Amino acid sequence: MTVLKHEMKINAKSLLIWTLCVGLSCFGCILLYTSMEDSIKGMADPFSDMGVMSQALGMDKLSLATLSGYYATEIAMIHNLLGAMFAAILGTGLLSKEEAGHTSEFLNTFPVSRKSIVLQKYRSLLYNILIFNLVCTAMYLFGFFLMGEEIDGKAMALYHFASFFMQVEVGTICFMISAFAKRNLLGAGLGIAVLFFASDMMCRVVPAIEDLKYVTPFYFANASDIFTEEKLSGSMLAVGAVVTVCAFLIALYRYNKKDLAQ
Amino acid sequence: MKNQESAISIQNLTKYYGKHKAVDGLSLNVERGDIFGFLGPNGAGKSTTIRSLLGLIAFQEGEAEILGMDVKTHHREILGKIGYMPSEAMFYPSMKVKEVIRFAADMRKLDCTAEAQMLCERLQVDQNKRIEELSLGNRKKVSIVCAMQHKPELFIFDEPTSGLDPLMQAEFFKLIMEYNKQGTTCFLSSHVLSEIKKYCKHAAIIREGKLICTDTVENLTRTNTKRIRMIRDGKEEDFVFKGDLNQLFAGFAGHDIEDIVIEEPELDEIFMHYYEEEAK
Repeated sequence: MTVLKHEMKINAKSLLIWTLCVGLSCFGCILLYTSMEDSIKGMADPFSDMGVMSQALGMDKLSLATLSGYYATEIAMIHNLLGAMFAAILGTGLLSKEEAGHTSEFLNTFPVSRKSIVLQKYRSLLYNILIFNLVCTAMYLFGFFLMGEEIDGKAMALYHFASFFMQVEVGTICFMISAFAKRNLLGAGLGIAVLFFASDMMCRVVPAIEDLKYVTPFYFANASDIFTEEKLSGSMLAVGAVVTVCAFLIALYRYNKKDLAQ
Repeated sequence: MKNQESAISIQNLTKYYGKHKAVDGLSLNVERGDIFGFLGPNGAGKSTTIRSLLGLIAFQEGEAEILGMDVKTHHREILGKIGYMPSEAMFYPSMKVKEVIRFAADMRKLDCTAEAQMLCERLQVDQNKRIEELSLGNRKKVSIVCAMQHKPELFIFDEPTSGLDPLMQAEFFKLIMEYNKQGTTCFLSSHVLSEIKKYCKHAAIIREGKLICTDTVENLTRTNTKRIRMIRDGKEEDFVFKGDLNQLFAGFAGHDIEDIVIEEPELDEIFMHYYEEEAK
């Protein structure tokens, strides 16, 4: 547990900053809805009729004229993107930072197996993502409470589960990259998160690349789909689960076998 | 290979980096209770050998045992019984010294508070400073505390004294002697010959990944190499002579020898002697 505690402590400041920034931004957007309600209602029809752009943002399914629609099309998109970026930053640094910071000799000469080190570091990734999502979701629910709005509880629960799962997948892929790297590939991690986000938008409007939906985890975590259909795509989640498990196993195998740099 | 008497037993260890042989068929034996010097210049393969023994890197050929256990199959058990100090003493920069020392003890699931306190006092370690504020020498001292606080059966030190001031070097070796009296074996890699001569019982010399020789420090220094200081024909001469002294004296015929001193060479001269012999 020592490595897990150490990682949680080292990443506590980053977790706090990301959680407060994302949580408070989205919380603020929810509270702003009342003041923008009239103008947003006026824009709802034109926004739903913008062709592929409306499709990409999910505004063809949900109306901005309701707080639920506004939440699913705008706020959830921000939460998904920033949550994935947080997971990516965390994932890319967890293993590679030891070699980049020349601490791998210190960490790996205690009577703790490399497998245990990988497992504890991965658990810290999961816990960080979980705490980030729990606190942010609590802030959003508090926002709805202050607004006196009722929210579709089932859709909300399904969406936040899918979003958490999506962030875990992005974080795990970056964790796998981290096992191969000897320096912190922060840029690559952020690039992956943004690429997945863009892939989701593109595959919704370009039929020729529709199959990208199986690649990007943003697809199954799309709030517009979830708030409209009130269900998750089992096949997409299964693909995501397989990718996540494979990425973790590759990270475990690679870190166990690699020659650690001084 | 099962040598319970040995603290370290290496047979034909070979490590490649790509096509380059960093360690080439190295065989070595370190008895329990010994203070063993592992000598060689930079890039000779000392750190690669140590890192192979500790499982930080994988070696392709050969076998190695530490405290009678195979380094590949008993990795965790071995790490539980040794204290390692790397040449680069690097820790997490944002942590305080006391947090690093506590972290090292927690990783071993041990309470080493008393021993750590004693070591910090003797090495004058300020436990409240952050790692990022420390010089190399002070980081080395933290590394010594982390390697010694759990009273291991075997110390493995990779160039431990670089960065330490002479007073701390003396205190460090004093600590090694004290632990050694209690039964701890010490394997010390260095290119500082004087400290090997002063503190080690046995030593091995390595060059370009190959073992050149291994023996007691006393035997290693007992060679047919002599340092000659003389005044010949009014000129001062100072050189290292290798070979039969009779030949040397025969060469003096016809010369005016005012003064001559024949003495044992310094260890670094012997070191060079072994290197030159190997190169031939």
